[in-house]
Amino acid sequence: MGESRAAADHVHATMRIALLCVAVVVPFGLDLARLVENEYRPTWVAVTAFTAMSAITATCAVWVVRRKPLPLGVVVVGTVVVLTASVAATAVLPPDGFFRGPHWSFGQAGWVLVLLLLDRVALLVTAVAVHLTANVVQFLQPGLPGPAEIGAAGTVALGTVSVQLGVLMITEMLRRSTRQAMEVAAERDRMVTRVALAEQWEQGQRSAFAGRLGVTLPLLADLADGVLDPRDDDTRRRCALAATQLRRLFAENDDVPDPLVHEVAACVDLAEQRGVDVSLAVSGTATPVPADVRRDLTAPVVTALSAARARARVSVLRTDDEVRVAVVTDAGVEVDAAASPRVEIDCGTYGEHVRVEARWRWTSS
Amino acid sequence: MAVDQQLSAVVVDDHPAVRAGVAHWLSSGTPPIRVAAAGEDVGVAWVGDGAEADVVILDLHLSGPNPALGDLRRLVQAGRRVVVYSMRADDDIALQCLELGALCYLTKAEGAEHILQATRAAAAGLPYTPPALAGALAGDRSAHRPALSARETEVLVQWFQSESKDFVAQQLGISLSTVNSHLERIRLKYAMSGREAPTKAALVARAIQDGLVHLDDL
Repeated sequence: MGESRAAADHVHATMRIALLCVAVVVPFGLDLARLVENEYRPTWVAVTAFTAMSAITATCAVWVVRRKPLPLGVVVVGTVVVLTASVAATAVLPPDGFFRGPHWSFGQAGWVLVLLLLDRVALLVTAVAVHLTANVVQFLQPGLPGPAEIGAAGTVALGTVSVQLGVLMITEMLRRSTRQAMEVAAERDRMVTRVALAEQWEQGQRSAFAGRLGVTLPLLADLADGVLDPRDDDTRRRCALAATQLRRLFAENDDVPDPLVHEVAACVDLAEQRGVDVSLAVSGTATPVPADVRRDLTAPVVTALSAARARARVSVLRTDDEVRVAVVTDAGVEVDAAASPRVEIDCGTYGEHVRVEARWRWTSS
Repeated sequence: MAVDQQLSAVVVDDHPAVRAGVAHWLSSGTPPIRVAAAGEDVGVAWVGDGAEADVVILDLHLSGPNPALGDLRRLVQAGRRVVVYSMRADDDIALQCLELGALCYLTKAEGAEHILQATRAAAAGLPYTPPALAGALAGDRSAHRPALSARETEVLVQWFQSESKDFVAQQLGISLSTVNSHLERIRLKYAMSGREAPTKAALVARAIQDGLVHLDDL
């Protein structure tokens, strides 16, 4: 709505400047000469009417040149003054002056009304109609003129009013197309913003992906260069870790009801493909876990499962205040216990078992 | 006389392979457990040899998608000791079965060792808490759940995570029998909360006799 308001203000301000020029040029260029040439009785009425209309135009100019909308008081007083001045000036016309040269007030009053009421369409149409009616009544009052005179007067009256209403219609059309243009421009701006955001996001995803590829890229490079031997146990262990990291990463953006279990299951799946006997147990109602916390919770699972030799037990437990993901397996692993500020990581070796657990208190965050 | 002292069980399961497998596990345990009867319908536990068996091993999903909780309730009301044996690791159903008075809820993913221990415990009127059930208890968020001590919760969680009581004992620096008595106490707390059932009443009575709880605790 703000945009359509701004569009209307813009069009009205510009149109008013043009109208102000008309309302200055017409009276002083044409009407003043007529005022002097013709005989009005009493003359002072016609002079006062001319002065009053010019004063209203001058008052309007104060706001129009600053492209400000006219205050309501100015509009009301101006309209009343213009209508009164026009009726007064018409009343002192010479007998055959109606809608001819001496009747300068008809045209001038019309233009000042358009200037005053340009942004109040219904009022303007009403005021112009009232003005026309008043002048016609004054024209017909002394007695019905002949058909030729009525024809001539009608042509002038309708011609003048049509031009004035024509300006109104042009203004309305301009207002509408300006609003559409502004809407299109705003939509384009929004699109540009969205495109910029999407590009930024993509850039972020790319760098994040590259970061999360972890050990994969250097590993592939070393394998390709022949630095690493695929028959070597350590190389195999590193491959298993890279594969598990990738598999977890692919599962990360899947749209599933329980993303944490989905990611853990992806890691388990890969370990099972390597021939490790894994039992996965999930307990407690699913709790929403943010993606970065999920990453921290599953990181120890990735490390522990990629090191597992023959057996592993993976468990996900959701209680009323925390999420605990644990792996109990048969091979030693090194887990960075201080890797995450949000997730508490516990690692210990007990007999032939190694236990790695990541805990996240979801009530505290 | 030795034959009379041998424990007996009735296996109710709609899959012949599962019945045969469970029967084999039970009969090859040390000491072996006799399978008095086995059938696809719960009726086998009510008539003939099945009615006399010490323990009922009941598959919860006999036919159709709905768990046979009504059958479980009727068996428990009749004073039978029931081990629920189910395909599904569903926490809510597991807790519901305990509420109804089942002495154990065992998932089919858990193997021979657990079913032997569960059956032996049930024959003695004792509960058995396999790892999946421990997970269900640890993850229980219902409003009326009993309050567990920090140590009890830790025992439950570790047992769920490791499936090894030796591991839990080592990890927490306690003896194996302490691990078991913690698990027993937890089940006792569950038995004392919620609805009445003969097996639960027997459990509490026995715990009082053994001095595991005092009358004041009730």
